[in-house]
Amino acid sequence: MEITVIAEGNDGDLHPVTSQLVGASSRIGDSVTVLCPGGWGSAEAASIPGVSKVISIEGACFDTYDCRVWSKAISPLANGDLVVAAASPTGREICATIAATRSIPVLQDLTGLEEGIVATRPIFSGKAVEECSIALPCAISLRANAFEASQGEGMAEISTVNVDSDVSISVREALAKANERLDVSEANIVISGGRGMGDPGNFSHLYEIADEIGAAVGASRAAVDTWEEIPHSMQVGQTGKTVAPSLYIAVGISGAIQHLAGMRTSKYIVAINKDPDAPIFGVSDYGIVATWEEALPVLKEELCRLSN
Amino acid sequence: MSANLDRGNCFRRGMTVAVLIKQVPDTTAKIGISGGFVDESAVSKWSISPYDEYALEAALQMKEAGRGDLVAITCGPSRASKALTEAAAVGADTLIHIEVDLENLDSVQTQSLLAAAVKRAGSEVVLCGKQAADTNGGSTGPGVARLLGSNFVGMVSEISSDGEGYLADRMGPNGGERVSVPSPCLFAFDKGTSELRRPNVRGIMMAKKKQIEVLSPSDLEVEIGDSQVKLRGHSSPPQKAPGQKFEGADSVAEVVAKLREEANVI
Amino acid sequence: MYADGLNNMPYEGLDFYDIDALLTEEELMIRDMVRDWVDESVIPRIEDSCREGVFPDEWRKEIGEMGILGAPLKGYGCPGLSYVAYGLICQELERGDSGVRSFASVQGSLAMYPIWDFGTEEQKEKYLPRMATGELVGCFGLTEPDYGSNPGDMITRAEDKGGNYVINGAKMWITNGSIADLAVVWAKLDGEIRGFIVEKDDPGFSAPEMKGKHSLKASVTSELVFQDCIIPKDRMLPDVKGLRGPFSCLNNARYGISWGALGAAQSCFNSAKEYALSRIQFGHPIASFQLVQNKLSWMLREITKGQLLAYHLGKKKDDGTWIPEQISLAKMNNVDVSLEIARMARDIHGANGILDEYPVMRHMANLESVKTYEGTHDIHNLIIGRYITGIQSFTREP
Repeated sequence: MEITVIAEGNDGDLHPVTSQLVGASSRIGDSVTVLCPGGWGSAEAASIPGVSKVISIEGACFDTYDCRVWSKAISPLANGDLVVAAASPTGREICATIAATRSIPVLQDLTGLEEGIVATRPIFSGKAVEECSIALPCAISLRANAFEASQGEGMAEISTVNVDSDVSISVREALAKANERLDVSEANIVISGGRGMGDPGNFSHLYEIADEIGAAVGASRAAVDTWEEIPHSMQVGQTGKTVAPSLYIAVGISGAIQHLAGMRTSKYIVAINKDPDAPIFGVSDYGIVATWEEALPVLKEELCRLSN
Repeated sequence: MSANLDRGNCFRRGMTVAVLIKQVPDTTAKIGISGGFVDESAVSKWSISPYDEYALEAALQMKEAGRGDLVAITCGPSRASKALTEAAAVGADTLIHIEVDLENLDSVQTQSLLAAAVKRAGSEVVLCGKQAADTNGGSTGPGVARLLGSNFVGMVSEISSDGEGYLADRMGPNGGERVSVPSPCLFAFDKGTSELRRPNVRGIMMAKKKQIEVLSPSDLEVEIGDSQVKLRGHSSPPQKAPGQKFEGADSVAEVVAKLREEANVI
Repeated sequence: MYADGLNNMPYEGLDFYDIDALLTEEELMIRDMVRDWVDESVIPRIEDSCREGVFPDEWRKEIGEMGILGAPLKGYGCPGLSYVAYGLICQELERGDSGVRSFASVQGSLAMYPIWDFGTEEQKEKYLPRMATGELVGCFGLTEPDYGSNPGDMITRAEDKGGNYVINGAKMWITNGSIADLAVVWAKLDGEIRGFIVEKDDPGFSAPEMKGKHSLKASVTSELVFQDCIIPKDRMLPDVKGLRGPFSCLNNARYGISWGALGAAQSCFNSAKEYALSRIQFGHPIASFQLVQNKLSWMLREITKGQLLAYHLGKKKDDGTWIPEQISLAKMNNVDVSLEIARMARDIHGANGILDEYPVMRHMANLESVKTYEGTHDIHNLIIGRYITGIQSFTREP
């Protein structure tokens, strides 16, 4: 089976998810060709083991993201029995457009992939898991960090294709990042502080971490009631907001029933509290018995490392 | 955030905007598994997929700025007509229901039906949500755009007219951008900047009177063939491991690694 | 709702006997519209409004925009909905707070209705369309400081002064009074009760707010004071005399309350259920203890019975086959059980139940008013007693 992998870029370089795409592909197929739109990361892609060849697709049209134009440039080369992309916003869009071009079916955001092809993916925002068999040729996108990356060193040959596409989309202006922070009820990750933070000023540590990982900052009722500086809009709990993010990090929060009501259905809960008997440990998936003063700097460092 | 886009003069007279909406179990509904498959009959509430609601709101604003017709199109079983009635209650004019057993269709089939309906409605601008709340896929927008031969802008929060084309605020790989794009174009919406309008009694009572045009694949002259995707089954998400407890700040590194590897959540 | 199912968990009504299957598509859509509005606009603000003792003006505007005021009235810009729809609207509003539902009941059943049924064409055209949008707020002046259950002996009087009427007296416990643009006031003209429309700027009229309430705090309750209040002749409601006028208004409001109270009860039931499932004592959720299950089961039973009573009454209202005693039964029963449910729910919440973290004690306090207004529990009881026996037992005289 011939597999085409659409490399995922990251600020001009190769995004690490690409080696996961290759890893998943080489486990079920023999020949893996990696296409590098815009030419980004082609040298790195060539060094991923399991890659048969790399095609660097270059042209001015890659300066601005335009799904129609990019897909038009990539499609003629994406002719494997299986087309594999990352389930990022652009990855999904390109993957779906290539699939429509070739009149082949597409399935997005897979967390499992087996010969057949048998695809596993979460549906209903993760409330259920679906398993499908899908006939070749087809296109799929894979969820980041759900597949093992290809390990070791490879040495594939790189060829370059130049494309000269019309461009439709042009950027008028970059939009400044909204100054307002993400609202707790909307974020995928929430980090909340309680009265255990000691002082409202210490919430700055939470904000630093939140900015690092794109999280929202919340607070317990106790913190909101005690400190004027912590507004009610941040309150998570019975009379505050009910949140159900993928990850909820509770720092210096004991876990009184009213707070739990507000975050109990979070997918994963991490608790940091110096009191080993705090009720929050009863609902946390990962509980760390430590002071926030000691734990937060390490947390920030680890999260920084992960994103780089 | 930059100043709000000026929505004046959005429409050429007589122009239609099409909105693709999908009916899904309400995002708060419990999803139960029975006999190895999600039990649809146990779904307590069905709603318009949330990102589609933002697309619908943007389309309504465009319609209000100009004088065009808003065509709402859905592909799905008979219960999906309720989604069209809900769209009508907030102002959709023409309602098109492609009645099919959606579960058993693959992306090629669904997209070809939707594209055919859009062509039939004569719309040059199409709006939809970035992904449906059931599949969380996101293929329909770009796929239908491709079949229509139109431009595509995804992750949109706001659009307006720009002469003969459009301006769209979108989240691109380089961050938030305001882009200009010529017609024809399909826009896939993320959470929009506008608040969603509520229906009111008048809208609900008028929606009752609006005819829904029900079409089959053959009405659209689409040969859909067989689905290339076969559903094997549904299961509950894997049970989470029982909570783990760690001592001391040194364990933070281990926890972060587990969040990535075990939980796959960062 | 966006980005993978993150949002506040919205409310789910209790529908144990599947009454939803009996509703029309429009009734369900209207119900859901109000339900969503309560989730979005009332729930986030209600505890603060209650603490501050205010009825936010946004609610007036948004309720007006939804087009649900004067629900069952036809024509003159009114919604013209079924009584079942009206009941559903009340149930959803009161799930938020009895004060919110009171605003709508007074506006629709007590102020718009009498103009619609007993007013002149000019009065209907002048007031109804703008009341339907919430632009004009109305209130209902019947009860007096010394005349509650016995409105027939009221002392507020109107005198015919040739070109005008002059009204003297006072009304008390008037919802919306201080924010009202007009009041439908019942006063004795030559010893006979007539209805008059008093506008807020009429000379000699004032509507001071009543302070110090422990109940219906997010609602405006006022006195209406008439000191040689002069109104033009064209403000009298021509087509009704005696208590028939106010009583027909009250019957409509009472009908809405029979649904509304169950909304408050369901809010308490939901909260109690969730609390009991989360609260761990002696190593188990208290929902696993028999006495708690007994209470929850009783709540479900009474809510279900009450809903069926209200629904059937709604159908009878819609086809015109109702009698007032049937409304008395529904109001009395449903409010009574709802108050008990609120108390029981507070008990299940333990000490937490006294905090405004949870809605239960607010509903409990509200329902004390609802049990008394629009005909006290005891009065409705005797209305039924009179129906059964043919003998009135309200007064000592035969």
